[in-house]
Amino acid sequence: MTERVGFIGLGVMGRPMAQNLIRAGYRMHVCARRPESLEPLVAQGAVACASPAELAAGCDVVCTMVTAGADVEAVVMGKAGIMAGARPGLVVIDHSTIPPATARRVAQTLAARGVDFLDAPVSGGGQGAIDATLSIMVGGHEPVFARAEPLLRRMGKTVLRIGDSGAGQVAKAANQLAIVLALVGLAEAFTLARASGVDPARVLEALRGGAAASRVLEAMGPKMADRDFRPGVEARLHHKDVQIALDCAAAVGLAAPGAAVAAQTFNALMARGGARHDSSAVLTVVEAMRRPQASGSSA
Amino acid sequence: MGMNLGFVGLGIMGRPMALNLMRGGHAMAVYARRPESMKPLADAGAVTCASPAEVAARADATFVMVSDTPDVEAVILGPGGCIEGARPGAVVVDMSTISPAATRRIAEALAVKDIEMLDAPVSGGEVGAVNATLSIMVGGKAEVFDRVESLFELMGKNIVHIGASGAGQVAKSCNQIVAAVTIEAVAEALLLAQANGVDAAKVREALLGGFAYSRVLELHGRRMLERDFKPGFKAALHQKDMRIVLQSAHELGVALPAAALAAQHINALVGSGEGDLDSSAIYRVLARMSREAGGD
Repeated sequence: MTERVGFIGLGVMGRPMAQNLIRAGYRMHVCARRPESLEPLVAQGAVACASPAELAAGCDVVCTMVTAGADVEAVVMGKAGIMAGARPGLVVIDHSTIPPATARRVAQTLAARGVDFLDAPVSGGGQGAIDATLSIMVGGHEPVFARAEPLLRRMGKTVLRIGDSGAGQVAKAANQLAIVLALVGLAEAFTLARASGVDPARVLEALRGGAAASRVLEAMGPKMADRDFRPGVEARLHHKDVQIALDCAAAVGLAAPGAAVAAQTFNALMARGGARHDSSAVLTVVEAMRRPQASGSSA
Repeated sequence: MGMNLGFVGLGIMGRPMALNLMRGGHAMAVYARRPESMKPLADAGAVTCASPAEVAARADATFVMVSDTPDVEAVILGPGGCIEGARPGAVVVDMSTISPAATRRIAEALAVKDIEMLDAPVSGGEVGAVNATLSIMVGGKAEVFDRVESLFELMGKNIVHIGASGAGQVAKSCNQIVAAVTIEAVAEALLLAQANGVDAAKVREALLGGFAYSRVLELHGRRMLERDFKPGFKAALHQKDMRIVLQSAHELGVALPAAALAAQHINALVGSGEGDLDSSAIYRVLARMSREAGGD
């Protein structure tokens, strides 16, 4: 029997993920706040649903890919949410990046209704979603993971159960912490090159071949060198995620000073109107501290 | 009874300090790189000299007030330096702010010639120098400190013998950490008020009466509100002092993350061509980051 799969949240990430599941033969049901987001999926044969409740009523598995913890709670527990339509035995897989504590709370609430929940945030960006090469970090019960794994493998290449409920979100928080610090580091490196009168593009080439080579350098380095801040990954998302990482650190009593500085840099980027620019625009925050008229080579 | 004193380095700080020493009734010999700097002292009766060595040859105690570690090394140990003129038993008192490690090396080099040295950096700025209200932090032997304590009293108010050679410079480093990080904190607090659309002047006023009171909130906070960054204490000098602080941190292996961050903002200030502004202009750097008013 072909599983009936629902997908809620059809943005830059959700749409290609759902499309990969359609291609794999799943019978897709979709729901999104904006009707125009549904169109490409419906054109490929998906059934459009009016609410998460209606969608859940007709599905065996429901995937969600929305923005923040509050969005997940609304979609799951809100009015006409998944819970309102779910039957016992349904599996809800949340791909959004949200606080681990929220993920655990949602899991507990659903468990009381006999609904299984996996937190399964992803890394790899829009391209990874299209190519089905995402890294998927999963938290939840092992048997539920085993049941969901074939479906997850249609969307991602690295599919790992990290641990119990919330563990996937912890892994994602760690992932984002590493990325935002790397981004700020890159921004400082390119600003140093420019301020010293050295061509950032040449520095980028050199760094690629050395110990500073990284996925972040590959994806964001050219954007910083060209000052091309079209997204990519919108900065507002990293702004949200680094705060999640800091909240996690505070919850376990951990000092994360690097993340704290990175978070302030992203705060400034929001203030500068960069929310929907690519995250590589943190470069502009680093640059802004030094007045532009003083740019060029200096001692 | 008047002593024979010498003073090398007659800038914004050195000139009023030397004049205050002369007011105590002591004979004064002076040297400065730029002859015009010596003029006010000569007018007050000081003997002008051609080198630090010549100053030291005439003095029981020679005071040095120059900019940076290499300058102190040059006027004390370099050609024509104090070491060439000072008599055994004489004292060299370095009131510049320099590296504690370099201070200890200089003291050792002088000790070989039986010349005593105290490190005695100051805090209080030009106003404190003119009004003889400087805070003076002294490192070196206690008996040498006792010999010149009355001279310090002519220049400062809060005079503390901190410990052995270099200890005065360590205290000054501590002073500069607190100043830089507090400026940073006050700037962030006022910017938060501003970004909320709350009257930052009223916030400062309220804070002055509470636990957040500090000299920095009072003086530097006002400069930030009035956007008046006339020095005061120049950012370029604070940058130099923070370099000394972070160099010590590196050598000792002690983490000073807040100081490191403040130093970065001072770097940006100097890199923006604003090194001659008061270091409270860190406010500008922070305002620029978030495109808040007050960035220029």
